[in-house]
Formats: sequence, structure tokens, C-alpha cells
Amino acid sequence: MSVSSMVQHFVRQLHWGAVRNALVASVLLAVAIVVGSRNLHDFDAALAGYTFATLFATFGIVYRYSVWLTKPATRRFWRRGWQMCFSPALWRGLRSPRILAGAVLSRLVIQDFVWRRGAWRWMGHMLIAGGCVLAAAITFPLVFGWIHFEQGAMGPDATYIVWFFGFPVHELPLEGIPSWFVFHGLIVASFLVIPGVMIAMYRRMTDHGAVAVQRFSRDLMPLILLFSVALSGLLLWISYEFLEGYFYSVLAQFHAFTVIGTLISLPFGKLFHIFQRPATLGVAYYKSPLAGHEQLACPVTGEAFAPALQTDDLNETLREMEFDFTAEGNEAPTWNEVSPKGRRMLIGRAHSRAREGRFS
Amino acid sequence: MANPSTTQDEYIARYGPHVSDTPVSGWTADMVPDELVKTHCCFCGMQCGIQLAVKDNKVVGFEPWEEFPFNEGRLCPKGVKRYMQTHHPDRLTDPLIRTENGFRKATWDEALSLVVSRIKDIQARKGNNAFAMMSGVSLSNEKSYLVGKFARLALRTANLDYNGRFCMVSAGGGNKKAFGIDRTANSWEDIPKAKVIFLSGTNVSECFPTLTHYIWQARDNGAQLIVVDPRVTPIARTAEYHLAVRPGTDSALNQALLHELVRNDWIDHKFVTENCKGWEELKESVRECTPEWAGAICGVEPALIRRVAEVWGTAPTSFLMHARGIEQHTKGVENVLGLINLVLATGRIGREGCGYGTITGQGNGQGGREHGHKCDQLPGNRDIENPEHRAHICKVWGITDDELPHKGKTAVEIFEAIHEGEIAGLINICCNPLVSHPDTNYVREAVGKMEFFCVIDFFMSETARYADVILPGSLHEEEEGTSTTAEARVVRIRAAVTPPANARTDTEILLEIARRLDAEDKFTYADNRAIFEELRAASKGGTADYAGITWERIEKEMGVFWPCPEIGHPGTRRLFENGRSYHPDGKFHLHPTPYRPSFEVPDAEYPLYYTTGRSVYHYLSGTQTRRIKFLVEKCPGPVCEMHPMLAEKLGFKERQIVTLETRRGSITVPLRVTEGIRPDTVFVPYHWAERLAANQLTVRALDPISKMPEFKVAACRVRAANKEEADRLRAEWKTLIQEAS
Amino acid sequence: MSSPFKEFFIDFQRCIGCDACAAACSECNTHRGEPMIHVDKTDPGHSPQTTPMVCMHCKEPACALSCPADAIKIDENGIVHSSLKPRCIACRNCELACPFGVPKISENIQQMQKCDMCFDRTNAGKKPMCATVCPTGALFYGTLDEIRALRPQSKPINRWRFGRQTVETRVWVMVPTDVDEMVVDWPELMAGAEGPVDLAMKLKERFQLEGIMDPENHEPLPESLGSETTTSPGEAEFL
Repeated sequence: MSVSSMVQHFVRQLHWGAVRNALVASVLLAVAIVVGSRNLHDFDAALAGYTFATLFATFGIVYRYSVWLTKPATRRFWRRGWQMCFSPALWRGLRSPRILAGAVLSRLVIQDFVWRRGAWRWMGHMLIAGGCVLAAAITFPLVFGWIHFEQGAMGPDATYIVWFFGFPVHELPLEGIPSWFVFHGLIVASFLVIPGVMIAMYRRMTDHGAVAVQRFSRDLMPLILLFSVALSGLLLWISYEFLEGYFYSVLAQFHAFTVIGTLISLPFGKLFHIFQRPATLGVAYYKSPLAGHEQLACPVTGEAFAPALQTDDLNETLREMEFDFTAEGNEAPTWNEVSPKGRRMLIGRAHSRAREGRFS
Repeated sequence: MANPSTTQDEYIARYGPHVSDTPVSGWTADMVPDELVKTHCCFCGMQCGIQLAVKDNKVVGFEPWEEFPFNEGRLCPKGVKRYMQTHHPDRLTDPLIRTENGFRKATWDEALSLVVSRIKDIQARKGNNAFAMMSGVSLSNEKSYLVGKFARLALRTANLDYNGRFCMVSAGGGNKKAFGIDRTANSWEDIPKAKVIFLSGTNVSECFPTLTHYIWQARDNGAQLIVVDPRVTPIARTAEYHLAVRPGTDSALNQALLHELVRNDWIDHKFVTENCKGWEELKESVRECTPEWAGAICGVEPALIRRVAEVWGTAPTSFLMHARGIEQHTKGVENVLGLINLVLATGRIGREGCGYGTITGQGNGQGGREHGHKCDQLPGNRDIENPEHRAHICKVWGITDDELPHKGKTAVEIFEAIHEGEIAGLINICCNPLVSHPDTNYVREAVGKMEFFCVIDFFMSETARYADVILPGSLHEEEEGTSTTAEARVVRIRAAVTPPANARTDTEILLEIARRLDAEDKFTYADNRAIFEELRAASKGGTADYAGITWERIEKEMGVFWPCPEIGHPGTRRLFENGRSYHPDGKFHLHPTPYRPSFEVPDAEYPLYYTTGRSVYHYLSGTQTRRIKFLVEKCPGPVCEMHPMLAEKLGFKERQIVTLETRRGSITVPLRVTEGIRPDTVFVPYHWAERLAANQLTVRALDPISKMPEFKVAACRVRAANKEEADRLRAEWKTLIQEAS
Repeated sequence: MSSPFKEFFIDFQRCIGCDACAAACSECNTHRGEPMIHVDKTDPGHSPQTTPMVCMHCKEPACALSCPADAIKIDENGIVHSSLKPRCIACRNCELACPFGVPKISENIQQMQKCDMCFDRTNAGKKPMCATVCPTGALFYGTLDEIRALRPQSKPINRWRFGRQTVETRVWVMVPTDVDEMVVDWPELMAGAEGPVDLAMKLKERFQLEGIMDPENHEPLPESLGSETTTSPGEAEFL
């Protein structure tokens, strides 16, 4: 395949609606950077590489997210989630916000389901997640010039003034625990991420099940990237804090390299789950008993097995995917209205019929 | 007095059965076992090959053993989960002595001193035979042999018997009468080569799941399947011919089948006249036994009997198997002989694809019954009353004839003698009579009358609760040895680990008691291999001849089939290839088996047939399998199977709690309404104890020859449980699935 | 390098419902005591028939195509895997979409887990656990040539039809030699249809029922059913 035909192929594959969304998002972010840094007044030119990587990542993430939303299952799910979230019926008795709050707490903040996969896994995941969130919360505003620090009061009680989006918002004493944390936030983050990655890596090296199914690019590469970001960031601090800047510029370049690499990989790799994962909140609306959906009963087992709303939605989705599980002769339920257990029972009976009751 | 000194609930709370379903190592995906020990499953006579994963002297899992030729890795759920028993929280690890209030831990020295002093005391007062021993054939060949010698030379008692009395003795009795040898006539390799498979009274799919593969293979090759069973078991469901006979009427069916063979001349005349003895007499005995006659007795269509006779009569090759369904009767031996007659009349034995065999139930039911813990038998399947046989064993054991006791009482007779006060003391190993003995309420009374009762076991079996002293013994995977599978293949049992904590191997315990009973000079074994070496010598020249079998050969050849009289002998996969039986006259003996009714048949007061059996999830008395959570969840307790026609007539619904009553006792269980059982018959599996024991209802009537009790037929009635019974059952049901704290 | 993967065959009629497959499956450390294979009674109370169900590894899996999170992947060997943990939002679409009723959502860990043909074993050239231990050959792992030699009376096919939908699977089902498509219909659910019948049981006259034999002498049910046998439904106690 020639280069030009490859390009043509690539262009044909592009989803132009998603390109539009991604462009809009990237432009909006660029505008916000310009505005937030007071026309780049507060923008640190040394961090331009990071900014461009972030813009690229934004484009990629929004593009992928948009494409993802065009999938029938996803689209229906997305719409249904928002619909239920704002459903007036569910706002009676404040059920909707209660469902949402419960889901956010359990599925995003505490992540108790990971704990149940394993205490060490939870530890590792929480360390990585906590470290990354902390690092992102510090890095992006700094890089975008949205936050910067100016010298405040001088003398024994010296202070810093924190500027955010062009406005002074807080004054911090120069010495003290809060300011130590403010200026060493990224160091703290690396101390979270490094053990977290090590826990995850140990599991990936020893757990027979994980070893069997993992792929280097999908499962190990993200850990290696995070590890290099955290380690190089930590070494930078050690270099200027304790070694009088020994090797600093090489380390800085390496750090920039790893961070930019991670940012660019965000839309493609495993870390995209950070953006996908909140969709789990929509699931809570299907499942929560608070939502009070009517349950569908299986005609074989007689047991309720799923909200009728979900099986209806799923049937629509399957139809869109060109599946047709309706019975021949329309008096019978479609296959999806039989519970999974009922389906297995009917398959067994059908096989007995196919065998005409014989063994062979 | 051997009575429990605290409540049954308290025993359960302290010693189980509790359920457990986590490997001793926990669920760790990063564990690499030190070793995979190639051994065999302990549950059932198939003795499937299995590899136990061992790490740090702990059994932490299993791996299929695909190279082992019988099962090629295949297992049943018991085999898969079997490793969970080894380090189960209920394991007994210290000797226990009964106190006013349950049991207390004791040192080995204290416990053994007590046992020995009580043995000596009782025997001094009441004679040697007043102290008996009960054993079981889940023990290896080495241990079985040792028990036989221990009882006769250390306890010096004639009263030694074993739980095979509830299992294989009818088959053994019938086989010895017809063939002069007690063994399946063929290895299972002949099953797939047969064109007709006849299964009589054997729930192969639940009791011997891995044998199913051989039967399915035969059907893949075009074989037709005949099943005789009052229930539609999974093996019967797709059978070409299923004869759902009334319990206890098999001999009528067998006679009618033979009648049809004769009438249509589907007889191998050359074989029955030249190779058999008693053909004319046999032929005469079935002259009146028409399918109509048998159909009325058995409750099956005469046309179906005719059709089955035709299929059997015209088969080019065939394999007939039977098990407890026809053996656990007062006519057990006759039922066996009746089936053997069908095989011999058609001359289909002793060649490729032509086979016959009983499917031995217990783990080492085959080997265990050959080497001498039967009351009438000496190693090598020798007769304890035959002077030549006695002389051979006396020579091997270095004793004189008067030092060797004669024939003793059989299992049920031992408990009857205990009940009568004739026997005052008992050592019980590998046996749980409070579950497996018929009429368990009677056994409980008997046990309560004993002066001294010692139990050797790895878990607190329900029987052990009644003991004065419990000695913590070892599991199958904790001692080296051999066992003999149902196809007479001698296989190696490997010690994967040592007994936990303070527990000892069964062998060590028996040798130590023998030493303290001043019989040390007869029991000088360096190790278990030395016991096997002596067994080889003792069995030499007997029908079950192991003289040519060594542990090395077994390991190298993946099992050796006895008889194997010398080292160079290849072993015997198929018997009778020369057309001769093992009787001195070389003939196959035919015996007429006229139909007679079971001991107790339904009447106006007790109008239904009551029959018992097994579940695929449990092994025998359940001491091991009732502790494994996966198995217990699948089958927590006994349920009564009943046909919907009967249930409707009685006004019962699925899951309703009902009470079954016979003249001996009653049992309260939930109902399972199923079309898979005769409408005049109810079925309850027997793996549970005390108030959940199906054997509370069975009769103690025995087969006159084999002394097998009639587990398969009793007359019963069913009524709705009252509130009190139902509440009690619900409470008991909960205890069946409680985890150890 | 040739693929270490072989073919998986299933024959429901051989199953005896012993659950050895489920017991062995539950031993896997990736799902710790929970079996991924299903064993169901096809018609409780009417027939002892049981059905083992592994993932059939559809060529176009409804589970993966209905997954809103793109969490279900098919690898180059045709194995449809359990959902990717980071992506799976445990919505149950896969569970409700699969025509074979295979995937299971574990609410506990917010993940869909299912049979992956013991990927850790098959990838290393071993057999899947269930097909290794299955005592009856209802589950079999090997080559097409092997199964054809072993079971001359049956034929492996991998085309299924559910109502109007045709499904092709990687796993083979054993059927009579004149059948080309495994048709799953559900006549018993049609309006006015009779209840299910297990043909294997129906084909044989199992028990002497009324009318089959001379009712004078051979009543299948005893005349009297003993004393105090009946109960009014209101008093009945259930487990």
C-alpha cells in the first residue's frame, strides 16, 4: 500500500463528527489557556511542550469518546443515563441524587469493588489513582498558567500569594506544612504512584491468571510510563534539593519526554478508562432498587431477572446491530425475554429434540 | 458405657461436620507447588488417577493426571474437591478420651494405655471373642491386610468384619459360587468393544461417574444400552431400554429374560454344555417364568422384557454390570447369580468385548476384600475354614493353627451380639455404622450397651461421638500403599503429606496397639512396603494372587491386574480366556434362582416401596464429603424423591416437608417431586446420620449366604410432617451447611 | 509457529449433571471458588437431563457487540475474553444479550466474568479444566479428526439458529449426522403450547402407568396409602 493510499484510507476512516467535537474541545482549551494565563502573561514558555501534548491529548480523548458514543449500545446507554438522571419521577424523594451520590462514592471514590478483587490490588490502584489525580490537579493549572505564585509579605513571616486564573486567591506563609505540601505536591504524588506501580507490577509478574492474558502494550506499557514519569520527577527534586542540580537538565528533558509520551498515549491506551469509567454511574440508574424499575419475569424459570427497561433498550440495540432474536411465528417471546438460565434450559431441551431423544 | 456425654449440637459445634471451601493456602494465584504427587482419588472403586499439588507438606490443590490409563484425567466432583479434606479445620489431631462432658484431649500414651487395658480387661473376663473389630475398605491393601492380622494375632478375636458387608459381599458370594473367583471378569477396556451394555441396579452416573465414559464410548461404537433401575437415573435417561422394575423383583426379571433366551434358542449350547455345570437344571427352573409372569411381579411391560431378551439374546458381544441395586437384598447373591446365568447362557465371557463384572463401590472395595478383614477370609481371598489355606497363612505369619481364630460374626451379627451383651468391646476403624448400618436406631442402642468403644478416625464421625477413646488417624493421602480398583488393577497410593500435628498414620496406631498387646514379634515392619511384601507372600497361591506385583511394577506399568503369580507375569486383564473357571472342576457353575419376595413388602399399613441409594456429591457415610462446601451446597441433605402421580394423590407439593415411616423408625425430609421414579416407590439417599439417616427405616434382614442387609427394599408410608418435625428439620438443615468458626 | 489452541466440542446428551466441570472450574485462581461453567437441569421435576454450558465463543459475539464500554475482546485465536476490568461497567448488557446465557456479572467486583476456554491453560497447550475432568466426554477438547474418529455416529457443527437469528460459534456442538444447523426454538413458550417433554424420557415406557397394563391386577399406585397420609394445603410445611 502506497503512502498516499494509506493516508486516503486513514482519512476515509475518520469520523468527521468526532473530529469536529475534538477540534472544538481543543480550541476551547486553548482559549481557556490564553484567558487563564492573562494572554500568556503568566504562561511559562518552558512548559510549552507540555501544553501542546495536552492539546493533542484533548483532541484524541474527545475524538475517541465521540466515536465511542456513536456505538448503538453506548449511545443508548448514554442517553438513558442522562434521561434517568434528570427524570422528574426519580427526583421525587430526591432519589436521583441519592442514586448518583451513592454511585460516585462507591464506584469512583472508594472503589470498593477493586478492594473485593484483592486488598493489594485496591492499594495499588488507589495509590496510582490518587497520585495521578494529585499530579494532574497541580500540573495542568501550572502548565496552562492558570496558577502561579508571587512573593507576598517579606521578612520573618514571609508569604506567597497564590494566583488563579489571573486573580490572587490565597496567601500562604512561606514556611509551614500547608506550603510544604503545595510546593512538594508532585513529590507526594510520585511517592504514591511509585509504590502503586510496584504493587501492580508485582501482581502482573506473579499472578498466573494475569500473566496468561496480559499484553505488553495494553497492560504493562501504561505502568512503565507512569513509573518513568514519577521516578524522573522524583529524581528532578532530588537533583535540585540535594545534589545542587546535578544532571538536572538531562533529567528535566527525560521527564518532559515521559510526561509528553504519557499524555499522547492517553487516548489510545488503557488509561483511557479514566474517561470511560464514569459511565458506570449510568448503570446505577438501571440497577438501583431506588429506581424502582419493573422487572421482567422469565417465561421458563418464572423468576424476575432484569429491568424491562434494560431488556427493551438492549433489544433496540441488538436490532440496530442487525441481530434478530425474535421467534419464528410472533406469538412467542423473543430470545432476550428469556432469562440466561432459561435460555440454557431451552438449549438443552432443543438439543434433546435435535437428537430425537437418543444418545447418538 | 458408650453413649454421647453431651448434645449432638455440641459435638457438631466442636468437631463438625463444618463445611470448608478454601484451599489451605488460600486463593493465591502466584503459588507454585513443590510437587505434583501422582496418586488416586479416595472416593469409590474406580480409584481415578489424580495429582495432588503439594507445598510445604500441605495439599494445596490438584491437577488432572491425564497419563493414567483408566480415567485419563477425568474426575467426578468429589475427586476434584477431594484435596480440601486434608487440612480441613475439623481434622482430629489429638487422641480424645470421653469425659462426663464431651471429650478431652489426651496424650497418645494415656489413650493407648486406656485402650489396651480395657481390651485386656474385657477379654480376661469374657473371652477373646468378646472384643470385636470393625473395619472398612477405604483402607489401602496394606492397611486392610494389617487389620486382618492385627485382629487375629493382636486382639486374638474371631470377630472381625468390615463395611464391605454393606457393599460387595453379595457380588463376592455370587461370583465365588459361579466362577470360583471374586473379581470383575474383564478390565473396563472391554466395555467400548461390546455391542450391548446391560446395567442392572447400578446408578453408574452418580456412583461411578468416570465409568460413564466407557459406556458412552460403547454407544459411540453403536452399542445399545439396557438399564434396570426403579429410577430414571442420568445413565438410564437416554438408554434404549429402561426396565423400571419394582424394588426387590430383579430375580423375577432375570428369570423371565432367561426364559425368553431358552424359548428363542438364543443360547450358546456348546458353552453351556461343555464349559458350564447345571444347565439342564437351570433351564428347567425358568420353564414357567414367562414375561407376563415377571411383568406382573416387576411392574414392567412384558413386551419390553421380550424386546430386551431379544437384544441380549442376539447380541454379538456384550458387557453386563451390576452394583448395589441388586446386591443389597436378602436375595443379593441370587440376583447376582441370576445375571451371571444370562451371561453364561449366551457364552459371552472370556473374550474381547464380552464381559461381566460387579462395580465395586468403596475406594478399595476390591483389594480390601481380598486380604483378610472379612470374618471368613484370609489373605489372597482364602477361606478361613479351609485347612490348606490356614496352613499357608500360619506359615507366613509364623504361628500354629490354634493361634489362628476361626470364622467370626459378620457386621450386622457383630452389632446384634453387642446388643445381646455377647460382645462388650469394639475397635472401629474406617467405618461409620451409625450412618451405614441398617436400622441405625438399633445400632445406637447396641453401641450404648458396649463396655468399651474405641474409634480410629481422621474426623469425628457420627459413630465416633459414641466412643470412649478416639485415636486420630490418617487419610488416604497420608500413607504409602496400594489399592485395587474395581477392575482389579492394583495401583499405588502415595503419601503426599504426613498426618497433621499430633495425628498418626493408621499403621503406626495399629502397630503400637499390637506392641502393647504383647504381639510385637508378629508385627515387625520397617515400613508399609514391608507389609506389602508380606501380603505378596501371603496371597501367593490364592485366587487373589499378588505375588508378582511390586510397587515398582505398579508405578512403571500404571497398575498391574491380579492374578499375577510371579514377577514375569503380565497380570490378568481378562479372566476365563481359556474357557475355564477357577473352580477345581474348571466349570462355570449355573445356579437356579427362583423368585421369592423381599423380606418386607408393602401392605395396607405401609403401602409404598422405600429404597435408598447415593448422590453423586457424597461418598458413603459422608464423613469426608459432608465437610466440603462445594459438595454440600449441591446436596446439603437427604430429600425424598416421589412421582408426581403419588404426590398428587397424597396432596404433597415440591419442597414440602414430609415424614416417612416404616416399622423401624421415621425420617423427616423435604420432598422432591420427579417423574424419574416409579409411582409406587420413594427414594432417600443415605449419606446422613442420626435423625437424617435414611437407614433408620431399613430392615436388618440379611441375605442367607452373604449376610448382606436389605437396604434396597422396605415398606413405608408417607405423611405430611407436623410443625414440630418441620421446625426440627429446618434447624438441622442449617447445621448441615455451617462453616467452621 | 502453529497455534496451541484446539477445538472444543460439547454434547449435551452425554451430560450426567455431576458438576465435576463446575467443581474444577471453580478451582481457578482467577475466579476463586466461583465456576464459570453453568450446569442446569433442563426441566426439573420432569427429566434428569442437565446441560453444561461453556462460552461458545461466537464469531460475532452479541455480548461484545452490545457492550457499551468496548470491554469484551476477541483475540486472534477466536477466544472471546472476560470483560477488561478497567473498562467494564457491569451494566449486564452482555449477560442479557448472549444467546447461550453464558456471561455472569459479578456485582461484587463490578466485572463480567465468563468462560475463556481456560486461556491460561489452552494458551500453554493444555486442555481446559472442564473438558479434562468431564467424566462423560460431554465436554471434549481436541481436533476435528479426533472427534470424528471417536464418535462416528455424531457430527460436530457450529451453526446455531435462535428464532430468526443465525449464530456461528468457535465451539462445536455434536448432533446427529443429518443435522446441519442446531435449531433452538421454544415451542413450549408459544401461545397455547403444551409443556416441555424430554423425548429421551418419552420414548420409553418407563413405568407401568394406568392403561398400559391390566388395571385389575397391576395398579401402579397402591389402593390405600396408609393412615393419616393426607393433609390440607394450608397446614403444609415447606423447606
